[in-house]
Amino acid sequence: MPPAVPPATGPALPLLRPPRHRVDPRARRWWTAQALLTLSGPLLLTALALTLCSVLFFPGALPWLGPLLVVLVLPALAYLLVMPRWRYTVHAWELGDLAVYASAGWFRQRRRIAPLSRVQTVDTLRGPLQRRYGLATVTVTTASTAGDITIAGLSDTDAEALSRRISKAAQDIRGDAT
Amino acid sequence: MSGTAPSTPAPAVPWRRLDPRTLLVHCGWLAAPLGSLGLTALATGGRITTGAWITLAAVAVSFAVVTALGLIRWARTAFRVTDESFEVRSGLLTRRLRSVPLHRIRTVDLTATPQHRLLGVTVLRAGTASPSESGGALSLEALTVAAARRLRAELLARADTEAAAGDPVLARFSLRWLRYAPLTFWVVGGVFVAVGTVYRVLDGIGIEPWKLGFVRRAAQEFGSSLLWLTIPAALLAVLAAGAIGATALYTENWWNYRLEWADSRTLRIRRGLFTTRAVTIERARLRGVLLREPLLLRAGGGALVRAVAGGLGNREENRKRSAVLPPAPRPLALRVAGGTLRSPFPDAEFADAGVPGRPAPSAVGSDRPDRPALARHPRAALRRRRLRGLLWVVLPGTLAFAGCGLAFAPVLLHAAWIFAVVATSAVLWLARDAYRTLGHGVHGRHLVVRSGTFSRDTLVLERDAIAAWTFTSTPVTRRAGLVTLTAAVAAGEMGYRIPDLAAADAPAFAADAAPGIIDAFLLHPGRATEG
Repeated sequence: MPPAVPPATGPALPLLRPPRHRVDPRARRWWTAQALLTLSGPLLLTALALTLCSVLFFPGALPWLGPLLVVLVLPALAYLLVMPRWRYTVHAWELGDLAVYASAGWFRQRRRIAPLSRVQTVDTLRGPLQRRYGLATVTVTTASTAGDITIAGLSDTDAEALSRRISKAAQDIRGDAT
Repeated sequence: MSGTAPSTPAPAVPWRRLDPRTLLVHCGWLAAPLGSLGLTALATGGRITTGAWITLAAVAVSFAVVTALGLIRWARTAFRVTDESFEVRSGLLTRRLRSVPLHRIRTVDLTATPQHRLLGVTVLRAGTASPSESGGALSLEALTVAAARRLRAELLARADTEAAAGDPVLARFSLRWLRYAPLTFWVVGGVFVAVGTVYRVLDGIGIEPWKLGFVRRAAQEFGSSLLWLTIPAALLAVLAAGAIGATALYTENWWNYRLEWADSRTLRIRRGLFTTRAVTIERARLRGVLLREPLLLRAGGGALVRAVAGGLGNREENRKRSAVLPPAPRPLALRVAGGTLRSPFPDAEFADAGVPGRPAPSAVGSDRPDRPALARHPRAALRRRRLRGLLWVVLPGTLAFAGCGLAFAPVLLHAAWIFAVVATSAVLWLARDAYRTLGHGVHGRHLVVRSGTFSRDTLVLERDAIAAWTFTSTPVTRRAGLVTLTAAVAAGEMGYRIPDLAAADAPAFAADAAPGIIDAFLLHPGRATEG
């Protein structure tokens, strides 16, 4: 279970472990839908339209249009197939006694920890697409915009419970919230 | 406040009005349409086209609306200072009463444009701790200078007025600093900005500069004369114009500059030739300082200082207000930064000076209190910088030149290899410089971070102020064993990065620099892990 320990130089240095709880598995489908709507869908449609036009009206253009289409289609497919799975392995969250911890992203990954004493507001957000999959996003804001924590892809019930727990914990730990 | 004496029977504090001279300031907006009309008439010799008339009419109407709005706002604005709060009543259609508790007011600035100064009035702005875009600030346009000073004293009365120890004045303007003015971005950028603005204004009122006779003649003569002489001459002219412009801008911004501790809890910056600014920063809001040494300025031995403080407004406003010292000699900058921090500025050196590349343990002490040791970043950070430069600058440029060369003119093939050689050496030099700059460490109650080559920035940040930690990585940096750590603070730029430190050191450093944030999420290899 323990991963490869880095070469110990003197006293072993502590590691930052990933957060305990994964987000809801349905988030994968939500991210796929998002990819289709924003990037992959338009790109694939463009490629399809170009191919059809070319085949029907300008067969001579195919030799040079082909490579161009591959450049268009491959990233779109890769984004559509890889991003949601990759994201699912990364996105996670944990509420500790003193701090909130979340990791997010896929290629570029971000782990952020904010102490509960600095929490200012806890928002729960449900977009139209998220609502279709029964998901929600919890955003914990602090006085610093670089300290805001966003946990996306939680199930509705989890999100509600988490936002209540964070609010309560933040109230119990009296801080100046700055 | 007064729990015993009912001597203040809470009388209705009367509302105060803005100074009537503000009306004249608002009418000043009408100068813009009148001026543009006059200029257009002058430039076209009185024959103004229909399109120009429409543009001028639109300008006139919008400025008239601005003036009218200003007049109404003046008529409907009133303010008062009660025992607990500062209240401002305003609003055009919906009446709005905004009240800020006095103890929440962090900064009070007085700003006067030339128009204001002509009339002896000034704009007062009271900032609070709230980071929101405009919700945190109350501003009054405008009051007489004397009234504004009195009001500022009233608002900041909650701060104790005992004098600061020693000489409260940290720095004063010196004419000799003007030599640093041309060493800023504005030398070249300013010329382009000015030319672009003039062109757009002319274009907007229907004058096409390329059709003016003298512009055409000049362009033709430029093209037909010796290019190898005229192009350097033109570049020199641009540089000279830029240098003059930068010096003028420096003078306008920093004339009469004075930085002082107004009392033991308030730092005050006053500056400006035509537009005068006075920014006050409450000490409790001052979370650190940033010493910046842009490439050119560094070559000239200069540096500038910014405050990392909360309550200075949004990002843009913060950039304007946080300037504590303009480009000035580096030793002075160090002194001013130290005076702002109220402790010697840690002009850091590296723990292993002379042995570049060997990462030092992150928390290292030093014998000299003013020269803490910074831990160097792993050698992978240097490789990353080199690779990034080669990939994003050398490769695309060379390919573009080579491609054009193959397709159109074989001369460009020579340009391609010359570019490759020059750009590669520049990139390697910059990467090495960027790497040698990288360092981080803990110094007393401060976090010290140094990074950047185009602008070498040394950040000294109060460790208490760190509100969150962020670890950012990509597959590339993970392979190299690097991670970027970001400290979130409710001040200044909000997030400050420690780029590319060793991934193995980062959690320990973060836990050490700001205890109590990430401790619960650490695994200690060798120790029994908690269930």
